[in-house]
Amino acid sequence: MNPVEAKAKTKKAFRLEDISQDNGQWSHVENSDLMPLPAPLDNPAEEPAWKPLSDQARERYECNLDGTLILNIPKPKSKEEEQELVRKFLTGLHKLFTEENNWGFLRPLMLSMDHCANCQTCSEACHIYEASGHNPIYRPTCRSEVLRRLYHKYIKPGGRFLATLRHGDIDLTWPTVVRLAELSYRCNLFRRCAQTCPIGVDNGLIARELRKVFSQELGIHTKELHDNGSMLQLKVGSSTGMNALVLKDNVDFIDEDMSDKTGMTIKTPWDKEGADVLLIHNAGEMMAWPENPGAFAVILEAAGVSWTMSSEAVAYDSINYGLFYDDAMLAKVVVRHAMAAKKLGVKKIVLGECGHAHKALTVIADRLLTGDLNIPRESSMTLLRDIVMSGRLRFDPSRNDFPVTLHDPCNLVRLMGVVEPQREVLRKLCPLFREMTPHGVENYCCGGGSGFAIHSGHNFSDWRFKVSGRKKLAQILNAFQDCPDAPHKYVCAPCSNCKGQIRDMLQYYHLFERWGILYGGLVELIVNAMADVKPGFIEWEWR
Amino acid sequence: MATQTLGGKEMEVDEDGFIQKPEEWDQGVAQDLAKTEGVQDMSDNHWKLVHYLRDYYLKFGMAPMIRKLCKETGFSLKEIYEMYPSGPAKGACKVAGLPKPTGCV
Repeated sequence: MNPVEAKAKTKKAFRLEDISQDNGQWSHVENSDLMPLPAPLDNPAEEPAWKPLSDQARERYECNLDGTLILNIPKPKSKEEEQELVRKFLTGLHKLFTEENNWGFLRPLMLSMDHCANCQTCSEACHIYEASGHNPIYRPTCRSEVLRRLYHKYIKPGGRFLATLRHGDIDLTWPTVVRLAELSYRCNLFRRCAQTCPIGVDNGLIARELRKVFSQELGIHTKELHDNGSMLQLKVGSSTGMNALVLKDNVDFIDEDMSDKTGMTIKTPWDKEGADVLLIHNAGEMMAWPENPGAFAVILEAAGVSWTMSSEAVAYDSINYGLFYDDAMLAKVVVRHAMAAKKLGVKKIVLGECGHAHKALTVIADRLLTGDLNIPRESSMTLLRDIVMSGRLRFDPSRNDFPVTLHDPCNLVRLMGVVEPQREVLRKLCPLFREMTPHGVENYCCGGGSGFAIHSGHNFSDWRFKVSGRKKLAQILNAFQDCPDAPHKYVCAPCSNCKGQIRDMLQYYHLFERWGILYGGLVELIVNAMADVKPGFIEWEWR
Repeated sequence: MATQTLGGKEMEVDEDGFIQKPEEWDQGVAQDLAKTEGVQDMSDNHWKLVHYLRDYYLKFGMAPMIRKLCKETGFSLKEIYEMYPSGPAKGACKVAGLPKPTGCV
């Protein structure tokens, strides 16, 4: 089926049951479907073309969902192999619904399995559904309804016939399994759907639990999150590939650079026992945005905070990609973070600007860490607010004389409710601060959520710029509509993953060149306004 | 994993077009990889960047920090983007035969 036919089929008569059919690509998104964007991207004719999947990819991998690919599931060589994979999936589903195999998430999952009123309030709240031009396969209820029907038909004790009459029918076939797998990666797990559901169904959790079945039972996960993410972190120490020696060498370099830029003497303390604060960064910051960990060091040193970083493998990288796809990986990393803190005897762990690390180590870890491993954990947002508001540092807000808007990382804001601290800082230090609409706990995802920001294989980045990131891009542009001519505009995104996604989108649409939009974290704005350091900390160069 | 003819050899590349066996890299491979990045002619500066990345990779097993790359080669990030439009990580590293950078970078 060619894409035009696929699109016509999707739009005319969407049938959930078709997920089981062996009939080629289920759906497709075209430029003409996409939600319109504000100026300067308001000419749809300028929207870049989609890069098609290569013939080689179509030959080798299952690509029967929507014309893009993230999982690279090889096509089974025989019917028997297909059957075996379907059987494994079913075994995984059984485990998902048993207490001993899924004690961490069974209860919220069950609450979401029993009922869905099909009111589609969640669909209207979903940026992916909206930006795709309301493609029915991207409704948050789509994958959930498939799972719900499978659950009632194949898992829940009782008669199948009655279950399918009552809850609707779905056949468990290889196309069902493989489409469900890809579909579990067309969700940013940012849970705006769950927030709006009148009866508390958590479709974000369902997408994540599906990913878990695929990873833990079938070994299906993305290379970026698993092999080059969790596994590399556990093996070498960091998802970036940095071992402790390279890490220290890089941080020495950052310290020197910061000393030059600020006129202060910056020396990052390593493995200081009994420090008040163990600061853990997403190690990607050191590689791609060294001014971020550098700015943290400047602020903490200037404020006289007793702090340290750890050079213990795994613990110098706050990432925990297991959060997105696999409980075992999640738990292994959580424990290594807590053990490093315990070894140093610090009073608390403070997480740098990384959203998913916040969720993993502060919220989910609460179910995993017991006794003396349950060390207090805090967001850097509150610590930074306390420092900025304490009067310990002198500020000159006129140094931040450019328009600034704030992106709310979902894990930090909607999930944890850390809404105001970063805003208090911005209101004090950025005279031209303006909110996006909507914002705070009603924010939209950057489009890179749940790890998408580090995925660009085949044509997946087209999908994450045009579809999952589109709503955020519109919000960013809308925030600056009153100042198109301002030479410099700043999107403050206090999360590594969000920064990666925003960077890639700004570049894809040439918005630094066209509109002067740069992005960065919160700490860079703080240091840029510090009266006692050399001016010009933020460099208006693309990075 | 796909294959591609690079520098007259059949090479395995990943979904982003990064070669899978960095040890099989040579100048011919680099020239063909550069073409996939929209770079038709490798200037001395293109090579200078690639050789720096290559040396760093052989020493440390990974790509350098972007800021270090700029400082030690003397190129600004803007100049690097002008040479390799996909940037240092996805463009220059690819041409230098490094694996795709990992983690949140």
